[in-house]
Amino acid sequence: MTKYRRADPEISRRKFINVALGTAGAVGGLGLVTALAGVRPPIRITASKVPAIAGDILVYAEGPDAGKPIDISKLNDKLTHAWPQGKDKTGAPVVRKDEPNNLLMVFKFAEAELVAPTDLKATDKGVVAYSGICMHLGCQVGNNASKPGTLLCPCHSGAYDPRAGCKVIGGPPPKPLSQLPIKIDGTGLAATGPLNAPYYGSTESDWASLLEEAKTI
Amino acid sequence: MNQWLDERLHISRLNDKFLRKAFPVHHSFFLGEITLFSLIVLILTGVLLALSYEPSGVLVKNPMDPMGSLVPAAYASIMNINAMPFGDMLRRIHHWMANLMMGAGLMHMMRIYFTGAYKKPREINWWIGLLLIVFTALTAVTGYSLPFDNFASTTLKVVVGIASSIPWVGEWIGQAAFAGKFPSSGLIPRVYGYHIMLLPGILLALTGAHMLLMIKQKHTQPRYAKELAYKKIVGVPLITQQTPIMLMLALLFTGLVILFAAFIPVHPSEVFGPPGNSSPIVKPDFYLLWVFGILAILPGSLEFNFLGGVFNAEFFGAIVTPGVVIGLLFAVPLIDRSSENQYYAENPTDYPVRLAIGIAFFMMIAVFSVAGYRPELVQSNILKESNANTILWISAVVLPALTYFAVIGIVRGIRKFRETDQREMLAAAAADD
Ligand code: FES
Repeated sequence: MTKYRRADPEISRRKFINVALGTAGAVGGLGLVTALAGVRPPIRITASKVPAIAGDILVYAEGPDAGKPIDISKLNDKLTHAWPQGKDKTGAPVVRKDEPNNLLMVFKFAEAELVAPTDLKATDKGVVAYSGICMHLGCQVGNNASKPGTLLCPCHSGAYDPRAGCKVIGGPPPKPLSQLPIKIDGTGLAATGPLNAPYYGSTESDWASLLEEAKTI
Repeated sequence: MNQWLDERLHISRLNDKFLRKAFPVHHSFFLGEITLFSLIVLILTGVLLALSYEPSGVLVKNPMDPMGSLVPAAYASIMNINAMPFGDMLRRIHHWMANLMMGAGLMHMMRIYFTGAYKKPREINWWIGLLLIVFTALTAVTGYSLPFDNFASTTLKVVVGIASSIPWVGEWIGQAAFAGKFPSSGLIPRVYGYHIMLLPGILLALTGAHMLLMIKQKHTQPRYAKELAYKKIVGVPLITQQTPIMLMLALLFTGLVILFAAFIPVHPSEVFGPPGNSSPIVKPDFYLLWVFGILAILPGSLEFNFLGGVFNAEFFGAIVTPGVVIGLLFAVPLIDRSSENQYYAENPTDYPVRLAIGIAFFMMIAVFSVAGYRPELVQSNILKESNANTILWISAVVLPALTYFAVIGIVRGIRKFRETDQREMLAAAAADD
């Protein structure tokens, strides 16, 4: 019978167990982390989520006429909510309301009332359109009851002036609301291009790639 | 029956260690218990609500609208719950309890702080307690997002916006935590999962640890115990004397809350309506009003780039500042390392600096909470749009400072009064001899 002599172990029992446990823990942990990768679903852009682009017409977002094209004779200096409506691949009309940040506000002022920094070339006969989403944390901007003629965000009281390019006139919003270039088209309104700046929550580079992607849909 | 159980489970050992735990009898020692009862009632009502709630954003017919307009299924199920017998009551009790749990928890924390019960060896339980408060707040916020009415969806959007404001990783975190770009179809199931599984699980685990440590380390003793029996544990045992007290307190308290809930509605979802195109005026519940206030008075122009990350006002207002505040609370037992007196609840006036810092701290939170009403303050012409921020910021610094010195002054006065009183009593006693 061979006699086994115990050589000095190269690795102590304690060390072995610690290493084994550590490896098992690390591998198991990594396995769990990969499961976490699924918590963030991919973003899929569809025609109903694309931001307003040139050629879109504006439709009422609420009220009895919801979904029908805006009638410019009914517009006034109070806020009117609108969605952009474009076409999908087959040419069927789609209202782009699955992206809540696409909400627009349309006003009609006396032409002389509109002042810089409004992009006057992007307005038509005093009709002007802006993004309806506050640049602060993304609430929907509304009329200011206590200061008529201005807009107020109900969330943290950000205030905007729709006659002056929706520049910030109070509260925390960091940037003015983006303006949508429009032209009058019969009795309705059509966009002549995308918003002049990204809407809430989108960075310049995201915005550029979003518009790029929009062309393919 | 006791014997039958004991033969099999040896409960008498359990009995000696846990069930005969001595509870100090003093009204300020019931705040923690009230927090615990609220948690239990919240779980009970929560289970019942979960049975009828539908965590889904799919559009279905609005049961309240004969025209059959489409609303998210979550919202519709809330309308159905409201129509159930006691359904609305359940929601009210649940909502009220959540507020009370927060309130009682915070007051419990104040008691611990002001009587120095966080000191060595009880630091760990102070930290667990703070975690409990943080997670209770998170549970509450996810909870009032679930009805998915206009208020809830607006709140959620703000919460997502705050999460996304973290430099570099915010965008990813916001989308990972809330199942994609707001509002994705996975949003409601995700928040529901947090609210009924993840967060309550954490709360229960922490509560268990909190209790065990408390039993192991024992309560600090109220002052009267010192005169009664120095360095002995004074109190009533859990079984059988403390239990009826607790039961009575729990039932009385729950009864009161139900009474309140019967008369005072909370969060009327049908009034806010389904998510729409105009945001309602949103305000968080009282315990988060201060964060909201900081957000309201930080100028949005505070924004800069650093190494490719965007640091904006939301990040500083809603993540950094609360982080610092909570971090400071965590550091309390590390800052105050004095280890004298581990037996008795300390008299707050014996520690004027600690007392004054504590009260000044609450003053600051109060000023920030008032700042949460900035729009109303401006609208009612108490403050002007142009000076509101400045005034509120100055008050947030000056008022706490004033409070600090006022408290120190008052405490000095009280102590002097007490000392002369004692001296006179001694003198009188001496004169009697
Ligand atoms: S979201 Fe509009 S002011 Fe904060």
